[in-house]
Amino acid sequence: MSFLAYLEASAFSEWLLISMLGFPTLIALHSVGMAVAVGLSLMVTLQLNHILTGLSAQLIPKFLSIAVWGFALNLITGIALFVSRGQEYITSTIFLVKMLLVIVSALILFWLRRHLLRMKLATDKLVSNGVARGMSVVFAATWVGAVISGRLIAYLSDLY
Amino acid sequence: MSSSTFAWIADTPISAWVNSSGTIWPTLESIHFVSLCVLVGSLLIIDLRLIGFYRERCASTVQFLIRLSLAAFVVNFLTGALFFAGNSPKYLNNSAFELKLILIMLAGMNAIFYRVRLSNLVDTNEVTRSSIGVGYLSLLLWSGVIICGRMITFYAR
Repeated sequence: MSFLAYLEASAFSEWLLISMLGFPTLIALHSVGMAVAVGLSLMVTLQLNHILTGLSAQLIPKFLSIAVWGFALNLITGIALFVSRGQEYITSTIFLVKMLLVIVSALILFWLRRHLLRMKLATDKLVSNGVARGMSVVFAATWVGAVISGRLIAYLSDLY
Repeated sequence: MSSSTFAWIADTPISAWVNSSGTIWPTLESIHFVSLCVLVGSLLIIDLRLIGFYRERCASTVQFLIRLSLAAFVVNFLTGALFFAGNSPKYLNNSAFELKLILIMLAGMNAIFYRVRLSNLVDTNEVTRSSIGVGYLSLLLWSGVIICGRMITFYAR
């Protein structure tokens, strides 16, 4: 906790809280990163499960690479936002649930991208790969859960 | 809109319903954000095709994505309208909200231009200057919509 208190007392944290643009800009970029990462992950899930058809499966790793960039923006801005309120967030169950869901989603995102690239982009194999399809459904669910729990932090932090 | 109109909206049954329970607002926000992700995801796939990130003939796919993005937009619009009804004073003279509406209208006009002038490109491998412009403009406008949407709270008086 002392490390979190140290972060909260840092010049960056102070700037973030008192500046007119710091916090709003970070939270806005956090949302853009979220929309790109989660949005493309959902589209890849639809594609792997034959709901979104007509596109080459070779595009999936490319879409996932863009999702990784979205996640990177989300992560960097998320860490910066955490600095200013770390002590409050770390005791919030709903925040910890969100973090767990984000970590699971991100691990599957990286695994899926690597797994699909390793399959040497054989189109038929990609779309019929049961493990990849199953994992994509899991990460679609965990991403949606992370988005919802992220929204609920403002409402439930005081309760849980 | 005048301040009396905003006050009238605040007195409507819809406004009362939105504020009648502590679970309605967070539920609406969750739906708004999940549908935003679906909207951005489907638009990204369309826009990446327009700017030449990939060049596949995919008319039926684009049709599906357009329908999906329209459905997500309708959900976003309805939940957004309920936010507006539930807390209309927050949106009075709110420059972030006004800019968001302008950007949504511009994004709509950009989509109409695509529909009228460029929709035939989906059945070819072609990427034109216009398609690149429409694709990048769409990405830029929707990023602006998200950013302004998040700024509304901070610009509320």
